[in-house]
Amino acid sequence: MPHTAYDAFDALAERSGYALIDPPILQPAELFLDLLGEDMRRRAFLTTDAEGREFCLRPDFTIPVSRHHLKEAKASAVGAYAYRGPVFRFRADGPSEFLQAGFENYGRRDLPAADAEMLAIALEAASDLGLNRPDIRMGDAGIVSAMLDALDLPPVWRRRLVSDLRRSKNLDEDLARLGTSAPRNGAAAYAGFLAALEGADPGSARAAVADLLSIAGIQPVGGRSVDEIADRFLEQAALSSGLGIDADKVATTRKIFAVAGDPDSASAQLRTIANEAKLDLNAALDAFDQRTGFFAARGIDVGAIRFATGFGRRLDYYTGFVFELHDPAQPDAPQRAGGGRYDQLMSQLGSAAAVPAVGCSIWLDRFGGEA
Amino acid sequence: MTDTTSSLAPLLLGIPSKGRLQENCTAFFERAGMRFVQERGARDYRGAVQGMDDVEILFLSASEIAGQLASGAVHFGVTGEDLVRESIPRADERVIMLQPLGFGHANVVVAVPQAWIDVRSMADIEDVAAGFRQRHGRRLKVATKYINLTRAFFSAHDVADYLIVESLGATEGAPTSGAADLIVDITTTGGTLTANALKVIEDGVMLRSQANLVASLAADWNPRASAGAVSVLARLAAKAKGSAQREIRCILRGVNQQHLSDAAERFGATAPFGLPAPGQPLTFHAPAAQVFDFAAWLTSQGAASIAVANLDFVFEPQNALFAELERALG
Repeated sequence: MPHTAYDAFDALAERSGYALIDPPILQPAELFLDLLGEDMRRRAFLTTDAEGREFCLRPDFTIPVSRHHLKEAKASAVGAYAYRGPVFRFRADGPSEFLQAGFENYGRRDLPAADAEMLAIALEAASDLGLNRPDIRMGDAGIVSAMLDALDLPPVWRRRLVSDLRRSKNLDEDLARLGTSAPRNGAAAYAGFLAALEGADPGSARAAVADLLSIAGIQPVGGRSVDEIADRFLEQAALSSGLGIDADKVATTRKIFAVAGDPDSASAQLRTIANEAKLDLNAALDAFDQRTGFFAARGIDVGAIRFATGFGRRLDYYTGFVFELHDPAQPDAPQRAGGGRYDQLMSQLGSAAAVPAVGCSIWLDRFGGEA
Repeated sequence: MTDTTSSLAPLLLGIPSKGRLQENCTAFFERAGMRFVQERGARDYRGAVQGMDDVEILFLSASEIAGQLASGAVHFGVTGEDLVRESIPRADERVIMLQPLGFGHANVVVAVPQAWIDVRSMADIEDVAAGFRQRHGRRLKVATKYINLTRAFFSAHDVADYLIVESLGATEGAPTSGAADLIVDITTTGGTLTANALKVIEDGVMLRSQANLVASLAADWNPRASAGAVSVLARLAAKAKGSAQREIRCILRGVNQQHLSDAAERFGATAPFGLPAPGQPLTFHAPAAQVFDFAAWLTSQGAASIAVANLDFVFEPQNALFAELERALG
């Protein structure tokens, strides 16, 4: 299976203008661990060299390919790469080596067109592998953050909703709790003290907390500063003493997260909600509609795409468009292919200039015998 | 031991080779009638149990015992539940914890700097972790030697944005030295944590651990080893049963079946030898906690010469511990 799959894939890469590269399997571990977190380390195969430097067998291609682009090209230059080969993630009940193929595209400033190109190529690759009319699930981390900015929700709620989205977990539960209580924390125990600070300006409230800590003889240890602790403490204070979020904002947030449908109807719904709530989401929604236009121009059946505001992908480097392709016959099986836009990753990898990027990975093993 | 089994390997029992854990362990087995002998003195890493030919002792470092149980290199071992859960993936499929031993108590806890007055629960840690990278350009770091327990516990509490820093000793110093922001470690009294300006999170007790007698499901359970297991478990069960009960003897004129059923119903007391011959003393076994109430009741029924004695061992025909092991071995 791999060789036939590779041949078709290589041909697709060539006619789409993506250069086939083969990054090393052995990668410096620190980068992956810092970017992907403990959840990935749990599944990574780690090893050390004679000097104790840690390496891992690549658990994905996006980071190695991004490093390749940073090294080979001028950071701001455009680059388009294709890759295929094994990736390694520990699994207790099955093989831990998987075949992945994919595309990554760097440096293009015409974001909506680049997004559409990535989805079109992913669909073509899936079709080459025998999946002709996949379920296309789509989300947009950019729309979500534009909306959270416009709504000006308390920071603790913003963090909460963003991480729910990323994990596809707890979102409904948290939306139900929004505005009625703090997001699962224990600050209520200090309610009296907090009430006393109510109405104080933030600077003097923060100073009061810092003073309290020093009177108690508590030295700040670990990486968090007193200011940071005080800020979060007061933030929780506001939430638990009822200076919470007003009812209109809560209603708007819930409405926005309930939006689902094909991209055109979703955009119309979001515009209606934004107008009613007097939120300025025009820039984000215009870019959204432009991208939908490019989908159509590339011959993608826009009506078949299922967008949901609440759709997110697991990795936290996605900043915009995200999508997954699923087999309609197995809606609960893991995605056959998935990807999205990650405009901050290159900066996190050390690029001085911002480099927009979009990509997708295809799980070749999941296509089984159809190819 | 018969001739047909003498060529088979005996039951191997792994015991911690030093420290308080070893002392507690030796004392525990000795109370159950199993005296360890080390032929070549205290530095011998193999030993025997006086009068038990089917059992051999291996003195191992505490951290090794869990691994040896997982691989089946020993049949039985004494080790903390914390080490079993940490070092054996899917422990419940590979070992069974037969009996908590009542020593080696320690809790595995999540502790943060006391200065974090805004952090009281795992939900707070989740929130702090989520905003940490953006603010500090690195992930929140957790120092621990309990890597697997920490991952499982943090993931159950939806904490995802952190990294573990493996710590092989003095974990509680990691936040002060800057090696980590918070820790997961064992504590008995919390004194060391307080001394290092740390506090335990309210819902941050991951495991209440103590030393356990653990059986390996992967070991070679040949007939000789099984025979060794039967005799070890019989003594432990007899000791446990004996410690929990008192023997009460008395003279009770006109004692009848009704007295026995009242004693059973009201005090959980049994008359293991039944109704005595006329003029002979009557014997009960009763739960230790019930002894005084039971004696008062016996007095009210006209009993005389009530004498209470400790029981060293009470052997029963069915050994529940061994039955559990047999079930697990299938």
